[in-house]
Amino acid sequence: MIQNVWLIPAFPLAAFLIDGLFGRRWLHKWTGVIASAAVGLSALIAIGVFLEVLGGQTRTTVTLYEWIGVGDFHINVAALVDPLSSVMLLVVTVVSFLIFVYSNGYMEHDHGFHRFFTWLSLFVFAMLILVMADNYLLMFVGWEGVGLCSYLLIGFWFERPEPYVAAKKAFVMNRIGDWGYTIGMITTFLVFGSVQFTDVFEHVGIATQANLTLICIAFFFGATGKSAQLPLYSWLPDAMEGPTPVSALIHAATMVTAGVYLVARSMPLFAAAGPSLAVVGVVGAVTAIFAATIALVQFDIKRVMAYSTVSQLGYMFLALGVGAPVAAIFHLATHAFFKALLFLGSGSVIHGLGGEQDMRKMGGLRRKLPVTYWTMLLAGGALAALPPLAGFWSKDEIVAAAFLGGYPVLWAVAILTAVLTAFYVTRAMWLTFHGEPRDHHLYEHAHESPAVMTLPLVALAAGTVVLGIAIGFPPETGFIHRFLGPVAQVEGIAEHAPEAATILVLAAISVAAGVLGILAGLSMYVRHRPDPAAVSRAAGPFYRLLVNKYFVDELYDRRIVDALHAAFGAMWAFDVHVIDGLANRLGWLAAAGGSSLRRAQTGIVGNYALTIVAGLLLVLVVYGGYAAGFFTR
Amino acid sequence: MAVPLGAFIAVSAVLFFIGTAGVLVRRNAVVILMSVELMLNATNLALVAFSRRYSSIDERGSVFVVFIFVVAAAEVAVGLAIVLSAYRNKPTVDVDEIRQLKG
Amino acid sequence: MLDLIEPALFAVLTIAIVAAGAGVVLANRITTSALLMAFTFLNIAGMFVLLGAETVAMFQVLIYVGAITVLILYGVMFTPQSPRPYGLFFQTQKYWAALLVVPIAIIVALIAFSFRDSATVGAKGGDLLPLATSVFRDFAFPFEVASVLLLAAMVGAIVLVKRDED
Repeated sequence: MIQNVWLIPAFPLAAFLIDGLFGRRWLHKWTGVIASAAVGLSALIAIGVFLEVLGGQTRTTVTLYEWIGVGDFHINVAALVDPLSSVMLLVVTVVSFLIFVYSNGYMEHDHGFHRFFTWLSLFVFAMLILVMADNYLLMFVGWEGVGLCSYLLIGFWFERPEPYVAAKKAFVMNRIGDWGYTIGMITTFLVFGSVQFTDVFEHVGIATQANLTLICIAFFFGATGKSAQLPLYSWLPDAMEGPTPVSALIHAATMVTAGVYLVARSMPLFAAAGPSLAVVGVVGAVTAIFAATIALVQFDIKRVMAYSTVSQLGYMFLALGVGAPVAAIFHLATHAFFKALLFLGSGSVIHGLGGEQDMRKMGGLRRKLPVTYWTMLLAGGALAALPPLAGFWSKDEIVAAAFLGGYPVLWAVAILTAVLTAFYVTRAMWLTFHGEPRDHHLYEHAHESPAVMTLPLVALAAGTVVLGIAIGFPPETGFIHRFLGPVAQVEGIAEHAPEAATILVLAAISVAAGVLGILAGLSMYVRHRPDPAAVSRAAGPFYRLLVNKYFVDELYDRRIVDALHAAFGAMWAFDVHVIDGLANRLGWLAAAGGSSLRRAQTGIVGNYALTIVAGLLLVLVVYGGYAAGFFTR
Repeated sequence: MAVPLGAFIAVSAVLFFIGTAGVLVRRNAVVILMSVELMLNATNLALVAFSRRYSSIDERGSVFVVFIFVVAAAEVAVGLAIVLSAYRNKPTVDVDEIRQLKG
Repeated sequence: MLDLIEPALFAVLTIAIVAAGAGVVLANRITTSALLMAFTFLNIAGMFVLLGAETVAMFQVLIYVGAITVLILYGVMFTPQSPRPYGLFFQTQKYWAALLVVPIAIIVALIAFSFRDSATVGAKGGDLLPLATSVFRDFAFPFEVASVLLLAAMVGAIVLVKRDED
């Protein structure tokens, strides 16, 4: 099956082409079926590949063809099949499949139905390329591809201006990050002579600390763009303008995890370049708490989830930074399930309310949307890291790794963020599903979603419940550690061998943090002790700061965007005045030269005869001069 | 004492220079044609003089003169035809006034 | 005594040529110019005789004095001009012309009068035989081409002066 690994991206690619070429005219609703089936087939093959890797084929390279062969520079289109990539393949294909099925229902009435599945299939193709690539350049192809599809899908409803603006913002920020990736890749080539993973990682020793740090920081900068960390995160909340399945797939489960995957894959480099991991960890932790604080006060249900995603991605980078890449990937997998579920559930709510996203108009929906309610409850619990749900196992490992690795400050930040996380998810659930309905008209017409949407919710919920225990228990020695350990853990990162007691105490603290957050949320919203409105009034300026997202967008707009506009204006002026001016002047010069020479054409024949005679004079002078010996030959 | 060759050449030169002056200075187109004929005659004179002095068997210079006759005749004919048709256009043969070629 | 005939004839002819030539350029009336031109042609023919090229002289008289003079006179007749003051006989560019011609004249004079061949030119038999041999044997092809040229000129001249009959 491993030899057939290239079928995995081939099916979505075929779906893209078929849906793209024939979807509008002939296939209509079948575009969704074709696309979903394609991803389903990919998922089956991914399962097969996973089982084979499990069975012992720990590292295989499956080459498709030689892509670039110039002198000594050779790059193949080849797939690296090892535990890390097989896990990623599994996560991407399975979650994508469920979201595709869901989208058949969610997008049913949209007139861009076929276009949606076309772009979504292309996205899955690009993401799979990204995950499977055996070298940085091919990975970059997938990296760019997912950025493109993100742009296309965020701006899916381009008839309105907001989606289009958000799509542009996402793409530009991604692009800025891509600059980092490119520098990393080029430096890698210059230092190692190759961009193939195996070549680079085996020869880490030949690079200097300075080179390695440069490469790692550059790659990490690219990761911040793709995975929405500080400073390139502000595109993700705006990306909620896209359809909810897009938010679920691209901005929760897959594309935003590409940055995490990049760092995890490049662990040998990061481990050897000391300060880079510290940067990764700190940025991750700061982003996590930063985003969590903003999520506390958002009213749009999708915005809450978006900031939650940024925050959870921060957790993953924190894990990478403290030397626990296995924990990061573990959390990536569990987060894919429960965050996708949260988004799809939100989508179900929005769908059931006919498009309303403001939680202030919701309330008491648990009676009207029972399946959605119960599945989202499970996902919310996972997000708050309640045992035995999946989120607990993965988040707890990250928190423990921070403590055991000797980073008490980061550990404290992680615990605090966990409290905030539990609080905001409780708040979101309560405002949406509990209490008295605040808009009776909406409430009357609310309805549960059709089976094609609720079944994926149930499937994801099942994963949320089971996944953590299945692969993460017992902590530090569970299946995922044995599976990914050899690949992801590298020398230089402390191997933890903690005692059981330490683990239990740390776990207890994590759970306590989550419970604290939930209790605080319930207290404020159920019993109004203290009353949320009073708290926001009391917090005053701090509250305004949070609601306005720390004014980061405004800051970026004024400082960076305006400055760039000025620079571009200058360049445009240069082009118009200097370059065009030069061309125009040259033309004017030719015309002026012509018209001044035109005065020789007097039209009087005698003048022309005069010039002939003048020439004669010249000839005579020259000949006479030669004859008389005035000019030497 | 016979006439030296140089004398003939001198006469030819003077006549040529008179003809040139006429071409450049007179307004009447017909007079300009007459001056051109003067120039041609001057060259004929020089050619025949050289031919008589230097050629041993055949009179190459004189042959050339014969061809100059032919060309001169043709040129006067066509030139006058042009002058006449210009005259029909606007009744002037004043070369200073015919300036439609101005550009 | 007899030796002086040639130089004397030459002197007379020279004066006549130069005077007539100047007269062509400077004359008051066009007909005067035309007739003086014919007179110049005759004198040139005389020069040819002095050089011993009688055939050429004959052709000169036939073609120049005969045909071309008549043509010029036709031209004069068909283009009457209103009378005008003498000053307007000369183009506006006369000063520039003078500026150019004077140096040419000087140079030409220098060249011409520095000719250092003192060999005399005399009749050494007629030129009819050599001329005929050259034209009809060595230069037969240019001769034929010349006739084509005359044909073309004739046709061209006729076409140019044809009125469009409606």
